[in-house]
Amino acid sequence: MDDVSRVAPPDAGEPYDGGRHAAAATPMLSVEGVTKRFGAGPGTGAVVAVDDVSFDVLPGEFVSVIGPSGCGKSTLFSIIAGLQTATAGRVRVEGRPVRGPHPAVGTVFQEESCFPWRSVIDNVAFPLELAGTARSERHDRARHFIDMVGLRGFERRMPAELSGGMRQRVCIARTLAAGPRLLLMDEPFAALDEQTRLLLGDKVLQIQQALRQTTLLITHSITEAVQLSDRVLVMTYRPGRLKRFVEVGLPRPRTADAVTSPAFGAAVTALWADLREEATRGMREAGG
Amino acid sequence: MKVGAGLAGLLVMAGLVALLQWAIGAGIVDEYTVPRPTEIAAALPRLVAEEQVVSRFLVTAGETFAAAGLSTLVGTALGAALYRWPLLRRSFEPGFAVLAAAPLILAYPLFLVLFGRSSATVVVIAFASALPPVVLQAVAGFAAVRPVLLAAGRSLGLGRAAEFRHVLLPAALPSVFTGLRLALMFGLINVVGVEFLINLGGLGALINELSERYDLPGTWAAIGLVVLVSACFFVVLDGGERWLRRRG
Amino acid sequence: MAAAAGLSVAHGRRPGPAGPVGTAGPRLLAAVVLLGGWQALASSGLLFRDVVPPLQALAAGLWAVARDGGFWADARVTGGELLGAVLVGGVAGGATGLLLGSSPLLSAAFERWITWFGPTPKIILFPVLILLCGVGPGSKVAMGAVSCFFPMVLSTAAAVRGVDPVLLRVARSFRARRHQTLMKVYLPATVAPLLNGVRLGFGLALIGVLLAETKLSNQGVGFAVMQAYARFDMPRMYGLLILVVGFAAAVNIVLGHGARRAAGATGQEH
Repeated sequence: MDDVSRVAPPDAGEPYDGGRHAAAATPMLSVEGVTKRFGAGPGTGAVVAVDDVSFDVLPGEFVSVIGPSGCGKSTLFSIIAGLQTATAGRVRVEGRPVRGPHPAVGTVFQEESCFPWRSVIDNVAFPLELAGTARSERHDRARHFIDMVGLRGFERRMPAELSGGMRQRVCIARTLAAGPRLLLMDEPFAALDEQTRLLLGDKVLQIQQALRQTTLLITHSITEAVQLSDRVLVMTYRPGRLKRFVEVGLPRPRTADAVTSPAFGAAVTALWADLREEATRGMREAGG
Repeated sequence: MKVGAGLAGLLVMAGLVALLQWAIGAGIVDEYTVPRPTEIAAALPRLVAEEQVVSRFLVTAGETFAAAGLSTLVGTALGAALYRWPLLRRSFEPGFAVLAAAPLILAYPLFLVLFGRSSATVVVIAFASALPPVVLQAVAGFAAVRPVLLAAGRSLGLGRAAEFRHVLLPAALPSVFTGLRLALMFGLINVVGVEFLINLGGLGALINELSERYDLPGTWAAIGLVVLVSACFFVVLDGGERWLRRRG
Repeated sequence: MAAAAGLSVAHGRRPGPAGPVGTAGPRLLAAVVLLGGWQALASSGLLFRDVVPPLQALAAGLWAVARDGGFWADARVTGGELLGAVLVGGVAGGATGLLLGSSPLLSAAFERWITWFGPTPKIILFPVLILLCGVGPGSKVAMGAVSCFFPMVLSTAAAVRGVDPVLLRVARSFRARRHQTLMKVYLPATVAPLLNGVRLGFGLALIGVLLAETKLSNQGVGFAVMQAYARFDMPRMYGLLILVVGFAAAVNIVLGHGARRAAGATGQEH
């Protein structure tokens, strides 16, 4: 039975308090005052993509970050993944500052990123190959994760023979094979159709629950965010600031039917109000 | 950023030339193999004055345009024929692809025999080298015309000939111009090359003559001149094609 | 780069279906017309007889060349020069292309020089190369290497730039070391376009070496062609040219197939 009281009513969501309430456990990920400015030149207006964003993600948590297109989500993702540096502020993973891609962090990108010349199993075993693991061992481990994403039997196939959804599953398996303690995903299902999205979202949920994987998901889909997360952080349109966070009180383990529950609908409505405001601002500024 | 890098590259090249000048003066590089850059530069006005550079340039240009013009006309016509009759296209397009890659200029002694030591040889070799790429380009250009345009023409009752004149040719015109550009490129390269090889006529022959006279600075200067001319030529061609494409 | 443009027209755009359906007929007809016309011209006495030798003389000349030990000695010389040219020009061109392709800065600074100098016929540099490398095989190797260098640089640079950036980001996210990224991402991603570059470079190197031999040499296939010309031994000259062009076409086809298969194997077929 869904605990409706835990879901924020449509007109409130707690304004963001800097994560102080969760200070008790050591956060897996700690984003502290991260700002990113582009094109800072004298006279020319610098574009502030990310403005003083701070939040924490606790071990085992699934957090989604949503926001309108162009709000700086992907830039934030890039900075947390260590692929870009912040203009100001700091990112810490397991307490240690991030200076480049962190060994405990795994990333799944938005674009198709399977190596087209490698078979499924060689793709998934890639991080292990880089680490110098012996062939049989890395293939065994890869097979474990290939099973987990539901692609058993496809080990020897080439990416060109697979559908888009299957290829993304390969990428997810590849990232998981490296055994990251924090999983970052940037709109991993953006290029897929609605049904595939839902099914893959389900799959990710199962995996996350089985592995107790700490996950940070960037998405523009509210339903996806609510379906998968414990907490949803809403970002404003440029400059990207954290507007508020919404607790999704749906119990775990979640099933596909959660989509139809009233608590789900309430959470979506709450987020939709926020997102609509930001998206409208975005359209006005972009069009005007 | 880009402009800065480009400028830096220019400076590096200039620096290398200066380094060479110094190295020759210091005896590190034999001055009978590589003349000082200053001597090469000095040889340039002498060339212009004594070696009829302008008239040679005109000869080379004339041969190039003749070869390119001919190969564009013939090549486009052949391309149209191949497009018009798909059976011919299937039969012969691969052959043209092979010919396009074939080193026809190697047969220049043969052409010498056939056409004698004259401008005709130069033009024929350049024409033959440029023809296959132009044909391929023309066929591809006609084939790329959006089918909806042809359908529109046919629904208006245009016959084959009218369709060619009013729909196909205008629509494929950009490709034809690309073909002309290809023809000019192949044309210039082969014209200069053959002039050099058979020592006849324009700028290519100039290099040959100067080297046989052991005029070292002159030879280097002439090479530099030809390189400059061809570089300018291709920059103009590229710019021209881009301008044409922008005009739709 | 004209050759590059020409070849890209030839091989980048796939020709229409080249199926065997009915193509045998027109091809046979064309062959008959061409050969028949040739024979008619040869027997007509319009041109001086040996300029267009009758087909049987051509065949005899071709056969004589193939059986001539001297030709094979020349072929070995030319082959050696060609190999040297492709190695030197290919490696230098590939390394330079790798540098230019992976560094936007270097590319902005220097690539235009290569693009401008590329389309010039390299044979005009031959007098200078003779000075620098002597009159022997060295200058021929140099000629071929210079001819091969430019297409290699440009196609390598393009290939390196063409590697999907997300794949490089994946490698970075897994903290791959530089040599791992090179071997496990750049190399497989560029094999197909590199093979095409080698095909182009090989063709131009062959032209460079042979033309250099026709200009100044005392051995090699190019020299043999000039000898035949000097003695007005036309059937022999035709035979040599047919063998050379056949050889060039064969290598071209093999490398082309290799490039296409590499594109298929690395999943980059379009």
